[in-house]
Amino acid sequence: MMKKEFGPFFEPKNVAVIGASATPGRPGNDVIRNILANEYRGAIYLVNPKGGEILGLPVLPSIANLPDGVELAIIILSAKDTPQALRACAEKGIRHAVLSAGGFAEVDQGVKIQEELVEIVREKKLRVIGPNTSGHTSTPHQFTSTFFPLGKIRRGTVSYIAQTGNFATHTMKYILTGEHFGVSRVIGLGNKIDMDESDALEYLADDPETSAIVMYLESIKRPRKFLEIAREVTRRKPVVMLKSGSTEAGRHAAVAHTAAMAAEDRLIDAMLRQAGVVRIWDYTHLILAGKALSMLPLPKGNRVSFLAPSGAMLVVLSDLCVRLGLDVPEIEPATVRRLHDISPPFIRMRNPVDIWASASVRGVEFGYREGMEAVLKDPNIDAVVPILMLTEDTGIPSYDFILDLKKRYPDKPLIVTFSADKKYMDECKNYLEPLGVPTFPEIEQPFEVLSILYKCAKAMNRPEQK
Amino acid sequence: MMNLLKEAMAKGRATLSEYESKRFLSCFDIPVCREGLAENPDSAAAEARKIGYPVVLKACGADLAHKTEVGGIALNLKNIRDVRKEGLRLMKIRGCEALLVQEMVKGARELVCGLTRDPQLGPCVMFGLGGVFTEVLDDVAFRIAPLTLGDALEMIGEIRARKILDPFRGEAAIDQEILGHVLVSLGRIGLEYENVAAIDINPLKVRPDGKPVAVDALVVLRKE
Repeated sequence: MMKKEFGPFFEPKNVAVIGASATPGRPGNDVIRNILANEYRGAIYLVNPKGGEILGLPVLPSIANLPDGVELAIIILSAKDTPQALRACAEKGIRHAVLSAGGFAEVDQGVKIQEELVEIVREKKLRVIGPNTSGHTSTPHQFTSTFFPLGKIRRGTVSYIAQTGNFATHTMKYILTGEHFGVSRVIGLGNKIDMDESDALEYLADDPETSAIVMYLESIKRPRKFLEIAREVTRRKPVVMLKSGSTEAGRHAAVAHTAAMAAEDRLIDAMLRQAGVVRIWDYTHLILAGKALSMLPLPKGNRVSFLAPSGAMLVVLSDLCVRLGLDVPEIEPATVRRLHDISPPFIRMRNPVDIWASASVRGVEFGYREGMEAVLKDPNIDAVVPILMLTEDTGIPSYDFILDLKKRYPDKPLIVTFSADKKYMDECKNYLEPLGVPTFPEIEQPFEVLSILYKCAKAMNRPEQK
Repeated sequence: MMNLLKEAMAKGRATLSEYESKRFLSCFDIPVCREGLAENPDSAAAEARKIGYPVVLKACGADLAHKTEVGGIALNLKNIRDVRKEGLRLMKIRGCEALLVQEMVKGARELVCGLTRDPQLGPCVMFGLGGVFTEVLDDVAFRIAPLTLGDALEMIGEIRARKILDPFRGEAAIDQEILGHVLVSLGRIGLEYENVAAIDINPLKVRPDGKPVAVDALVVLRKE
């Protein structure tokens, strides 16, 4: 029942923007542009004492002028004006609000204002995101409360929970312009006076529009509650988290060793492991993981095959796999025979696959296609990474053979990376990714991604125990 | 068992003595070494004969949380004369109230288990490499209570020195089932006994047959 309470944030029938602005570039103006750009289908009410019209929509002079039955308010005012607006919204019967303004817990006077907001939320039984949030997004409902100019936000199946304004703004801008995957729900938690990561996770757990959850957190407000919820969710959906502040010393002076050694991050790390949450350590991986979880099946195991056009890459990437907990196993004799069939006789074939000779003698497309198929077929292999050689000198293949292989081996993650001319890397990415095959510009990234996916699979399949 | 805690709390003590700590832990099926308390070197010698030589003799007292630092442990005593002699020396240590006579547990491997409380996460259980280098080696794993046996087995496999679990220098592989139950029990104590602030079992020695046994233990009580 708790979860339903958050419904109006993600599927609002209508929305009021308190602090709507006629001035382009102001958050109160950009938020309206974003709502319009996403083709939100509910009614939009704008409130500004000046009245008039903004972007073709009529403006009401006060919250009291709003019609009854408004579900969600985006309050985009200065910190000091926010409490009064929130109270007025509550009096108008609005129970859900996004508080965009910043400058609360961070400054002296803000602490008092934030306490006042907490009091209003409690007294009026409201549900609130923020304050100090850059907003939230719900692409299945074509809705966003983000005030950073994003335009149309691409729909996808992965949802993000982020305790940073950057994610819903600049990082999202990168995803929208530099990548091809989309998002389902994005929640910027802000200062978490009401909705916290446990609430958000609980909502997304049962959200049919969310297939996987990626989180960035700086703190966990109710860690035991979080553990209780996450422990159950992670059996059904992958949950990946970047938790910052891991180098904090934070040890306690204590008579017992156990207490002395219980640094804060160590306990959080333990809690995340227990919960089945896959911890990541790099900001970039927030994007890589989202992309991989959007496009790939989870691998059945950690056994990888890769095809490289360089001996150096074969060695370096094999070492990397060991570091990442991935296995580069031996392959079936039949697979080895097939690899020999497609290669000139002077080269010894095994896993990982040295594809240079085959690709240069018999053609890039032939070499990679036949080589990839051989290892995709092999029962010892759970995932395949081709390091595609793409130069005009060696010939640019049609990329369709990769789509064909993906279609015929849908259960094994197939991730492309390159040893290539940048022009063709981009071309290949722009062709394959909208059709569901992820590519990564750096050769280590597919393996980093596979390690994350493998951990997700392990967490989902871990034995149930009392 | 609650009496043990209650009495100690009533006396305003910060910890249980080693002997009391082990009596408390053994109520939760945590295996502890054979031992007996003696009031003087003579009765210590009698205890030693019951337990069988060689024995370990320790200074025991409510405020003796760290015995090694004050020279409060005499290892591998092989006869009555040594027990008497060491007994006399230990009785002179400040805070020594009695002598603890223990079997000398064989086995090369020393582990550590413990319980602590985090203000937000509540009771947390630790497992790792034990002995005098525990904090230097810093090879430990934690879990939040309550623990399932699966949680316990997972954390046991998480330490860097996990190979120590395998057969080692002619000694059997560690019985992970027993070890897992020790960790589960520590979590249970954390949830059920608010007056226990922290527990150290260090070392938890591993007998040559792979069975772990608490050789030293410390129960820290909640400050009133």
